Amino acid sequence: MSVVPTEVVLGRRQLFMLPTRYGLLFALLLVVQLLAAINYGNGLAYALTFLLGSLAVVSMLYTHRNLFRLRLSASACAPVFAGDAAVFRLHLVNATRTARYGVAVMHGKKEIARVDISAQGFTDVDLPVPALNRGWLASPAVTMHTEFPLGLLYSWSHRVEFNHACLVYPRPAAPTPLHTHPMESPEAVSGMKAGGDDFIGTREFQPGDSPRHVDWKAVARGKDWQVKQFGAGQQVTLWLDWDTLTGLDMESRLSVLARWVLDAQQQDLLYGLRLPEQTVNPSNGEPHQHECLKRLALFELKS
Amino acid sequence: MNTTTADKRVLLSLMAAGAVAVAPHAGELPFWIIAVFAVGAAWRYGIEVFQWYRPGKLVRVTLMLLLLVAVFRQFHTLLGRDPGMTLLITLIGLKFLELKTVRDHVVSLFVFYLIILGSFLYSQSLWLGAWALLAVTVCTAALMHVTQPTNLNIAQRLRLSGVMLAKAVPLMIIVYLLFPRISGTLWGLPADAHSGLTGMPDMMQPGNIRQLSESSEIAFRVSFEGAPPALRELYWRGLVLTEFDGRGWQRGVNRAGQEQVSFTPLNEAVRYHVTLEPSNKPWMLALDLPAIRPKGARYQPDFTLEHREPIRERLNYTLTSYTRYNTGALDLAERVLNLQLPGNTSPRAHALARHWQQQHGAPLQIAQAALDNFRRENFVYTLSPPLLGDDPVDEFLFGTRRGFCEHYAAAFVTLMRAAGIPSRVVLGYLGGELNTAGDYLIVRQSDAHAWAEIWMAGRGWVRVDPTGAIAPERIELGLDAVRRLELQGLALGSLSSEAVQRALALGWFEYVARHAHWYWDLTNLTWYRWVVDYGKERQERFLASLGFEDISWGRLVGLVCAGALLVLLVYALPFWRLKKTHDPSHAAYLRFCRKLARAGLARAPYEGAHAFGERAARKRADLAASISEITGLYEDLRYGPMVPDQVKFTTLKKRVATFRA
Repeated sequence: MSVVPTEVVLGRRQLFMLPTRYGLLFALLLVVQLLAAINYGNGLAYALTFLLGSLAVVSMLYTHRNLFRLRLSASACAPVFAGDAAVFRLHLVNATRTARYGVAVMHGKKEIARVDISAQGFTDVDLPVPALNRGWLASPAVTMHTEFPLGLLYSWSHRVEFNHACLVYPRPAAPTPLHTHPMESPEAVSGMKAGGDDFIGTREFQPGDSPRHVDWKAVARGKDWQVKQFGAGQQVTLWLDWDTLTGLDMESRLSVLARWVLDAQQQDLLYGLRLPEQTVNPSNGEPHQHECLKRLALFELKS
Repeated sequence: MNTTTADKRVLLSLMAAGAVAVAPHAGELPFWIIAVFAVGAAWRYGIEVFQWYRPGKLVRVTLMLLLLVAVFRQFHTLLGRDPGMTLLITLIGLKFLELKTVRDHVVSLFVFYLIILGSFLYSQSLWLGAWALLAVTVCTAALMHVTQPTNLNIAQRLRLSGVMLAKAVPLMIIVYLLFPRISGTLWGLPADAHSGLTGMPDMMQPGNIRQLSESSEIAFRVSFEGAPPALRELYWRGLVLTEFDGRGWQRGVNRAGQEQVSFTPLNEAVRYHVTLEPSNKPWMLALDLPAIRPKGARYQPDFTLEHREPIRERLNYTLTSYTRYNTGALDLAERVLNLQLPGNTSPRAHALARHWQQQHGAPLQIAQAALDNFRRENFVYTLSPPLLGDDPVDEFLFGTRRGFCEHYAAAFVTLMRAAGIPSRVVLGYLGGELNTAGDYLIVRQSDAHAWAEIWMAGRGWVRVDPTGAIAPERIELGLDAVRRLELQGLALGSLSSEAVQRALALGWFEYVARHAHWYWDLTNLTWYRWVVDYGKERQERFLASLGFEDISWGRLVGLVCAGALLVLLVYALPFWRLKKTHDPSHAAYLRFCRKLARAGLARAPYEGAHAFGERAARKRADLAASISEITGLYEDLRYGPMVPDQVKFTTLKKRVATFRA
C-alpha cells in the first residue's frame, strides 16, 4: 500500500448544519419575545426580537464559515509495534484570512481535540489509535465539528478518510535465544574488512562512494540510495529462520522473529530473514530492519 | 457538551451581561429588587474567589420562597408587568448561586435577553434603544464565552459580537418593516401599562393652566402641507368650557349634539399632519377650526375633536382647518348655556358689564371696551401671578390685576356674559416652535393657552384673545419669548419692536444649543415614527409608499424571505467564491505573469510554471536570475510542504513587487 499525502478541502457539500439544543431553546425565547412584542404592540420589542432572530441567522454563516474550506491532511504515520498506539498526525490548514475557533476533531462520537486556527495558519492534531494487530492499520475517519460562535448551531463535516495507513509490526516477543540453523553455524570472526569480493550487505550512500557500488536496482525501485558493500566475508551473518521455530503458532513465530530482528540490529550484526517462500538477504541498517519487520508484519496477510 | 464549572472569567462575563441587562430597570423598579440581583451575583463571585459560604439546596429554596413572598407583598400579585419583571430579575440573581453547567449559564443569558425586552415595556426612548444594543452586544459576547471555550479574549469576543450584530441589523430592518402588525393586543394589557402622562386638564381653575405651562414636555408636533400660517394664527383648539361655577370653568353638559358640524370657511384651507403625544385625555388638538373628522374621533358641536378613548399612545392624524370662518346661528339651548353665570358672585364685574352694555349696546363695542379696560388700567401679564381667593374674577379685575391667560380669559368671558353676550372659554395651545431642522412645529405643554369666544349675530363665534390686549408679545412671539423678556425684567405690552428684537437676539451659544435641540427633536420624531409608533397603520402607509397596497400576509412573508436571502447571499458570497485565488502565493505568481505578459512574454495555457520559467529565462537572459528565483519560490510554496513557509512567501511577494520586465 503506497503512502500518498492527500488533502481534503471541506466544501459546501461536505458540511451540514443543525441547531443545537440551545438553538432550540433560543427559538423558544424568540417566540416568547415575539408574543410579548405583539401583545404590547411595542416597537422596540419587535426590533429586539428580530435582531436576535437575525443574529441567529447570521451566526449560521459564521458557523458554516468556521469549517468551510478548511484543508485537512494527514502525514504518514511512523510504523509501530502491535500493542503500541499508532499516532496519525492531522494537519488542519486555514488558508483563509479569517481565523477559525473551536474546531473540534471528532472520531466517531469522541472529541479528540478542540483547536483554534489562526488566519492563514495551521494546527496539527495527533490522533492516537491503538494498534492491536500487525499489518496495515488504516487511518481513522474523522469528522470536523463546530458550534462556534454562539453555540446555537452546530456544523459538522462528513467523514473524512485519508489514504493513509500505518504499518504495524508484530509485537516483539520476550528475549528469546537465537535458534541457529544447524547447517549454517555462524563463523565467529570479528572485525570486517571491506574491499573483498563477497557481497556482505548494503549501507546508505554517502558522498564519495563509487557509483559502481550503488545498488541501482534498488534505486530504480524507488528506494533510498544504497551502496553495496563487499568484504572478505568474515562478518558474522545470522539467518533468522522461520523453520527453526517449530512448535509455535504463526503469530508467536512472527513475534520471536521480530524480537531477533531488533536484537540483531541493536548488536549491529549482519542478518537475513528466511520466511516460507521469501527471503531477505543478510544486511544491516535501519532500512534493512524495516524491510525485515515489514515482511513479518505483512506475512500471509491479504495485501 | 462539556460541563465546565463556572470558572471565574466566565462568571465575570455573565455578571457583566446581567449588569447591563438589568441596569435600565434600576430607575423603574423598587431598589431592593436590583439589590437582590446584585447580591446574588456578588455572592457567587465571593464563593469562587474568596471561598465564601456556599449555600446548599435548602438555603436556596428558602431564599426563593422568601423572594416570592416579598414580591407578593410589594405588588399584591405575581402577574403583570412589574411583578413579572421583578420575579425574573430576582430569581435570576438567585440563579447565580447554583450555576454549574453550561446549560445554566445559557439559560441565564436567555433570561437576560428577556429582561432587556422587559425594559421596553417602561420606555421606548432612543437612549434605551441604544443602551439595549450595547446590552445585547455584551450578552452575545458572554454567550460566546459560555458556550465556546476558545482562545478569544474579551475584546475579540465583544468585537465579534458587535460585528455579527451589525450584520444582523439589515436583516432585522427588513423583517421589522415587513412583519405584519396587528392592531390591538392579544390578551389585553395589564392595568399598569400606562401611567404618568401629562395633558390638558378637562377644567380650568385658577392656576392649573399655569401649572401646565411649567412643563416643557412636548404636547404635539405639526407638519404643514405648504407654508405654515403666521404664529399669531396658530390657535390650537382643545376643548371648550361653558360652565362657570364662580371659581372654575368646566365643559357644559350638552355635548351629545349633532355629529355633522358645519361652518362657512372664509379663507384658504390649511392641511397639516399632527403627531399627538399621549396625554391620557381624549382631546385631539386641531387648528381653529377643523373641517374634517379623522378616524377614531368625534366632532363635537363646539368644533373640537374628541378621541373615542383617552389617548395613551402617540396619535397621528391629518386635518384640514380654516382660520377664518362663520359658524352661523346659535340655537336657544346653546345661547342659554353660553350666558350662564352663577348669580351671587363678582358683583363689581356685573356692574361694570351692565354699564358697558348701556353705554355701547353692540357686542363688538362691548368687547372692545373690555379689552380697552385691560389696556388702560394697569393690568400686567405675568407668568407668576398672585393667588386668588373665593371670588377670583372680581379680585383679579379690581384687585391684583396681575395674571396669566387663564385669568384674562375667565374675566373676559364673565364680563361678556354679564353684558348679555354669549361667550365661552377655549382651552388649547397657542403658537409653537418652528423646528427648521425638520420643518415642523413643536408645541409644548408650556404653550398651553386659554382664550375667549363671543357669539355675534351674522358672524357666529368670534375668537377674542384678551391676553393679546395686555401682552401682544405672547401672541406674536410665543411663550418662550415672553419668558425670556420677563427674565430680563422688561415690562410686556409697551416694548418697541427694536427693543424686543434686541432682547430676543440669540448669543452664538444659544443659537447652537437651539439648533442642536431641534436636530435632537427631529431625531426623536423619526425614532417615534419608525420605532415607537410603527404599528399597523404606519406599516400600511409604508407598504403603500413601496407600491404594495393591500398586500396579503403570504406575500409579505415571501417578501421578508426574499429580502433576507438577498442580504445573506451578499454576506456569503465573498467567502463562497474566490475559489482560485485563495492561495496568496498563486496570486503573487499571477501578478508576475501579468508583468511578463505586458513585456510580450505571455504564459501559454498549457505551460507549467517550470517550463514557462525556463522559456522566459531563455528569452530574457537579462532577467534570468530573478525569473528563476521567483519561479523557484513559487514552486516551493505551491507544491512544497502543506504549510507555506512565511519567509519564502514574503520573499516571493517582495521579488514580484520589484520585478520589472
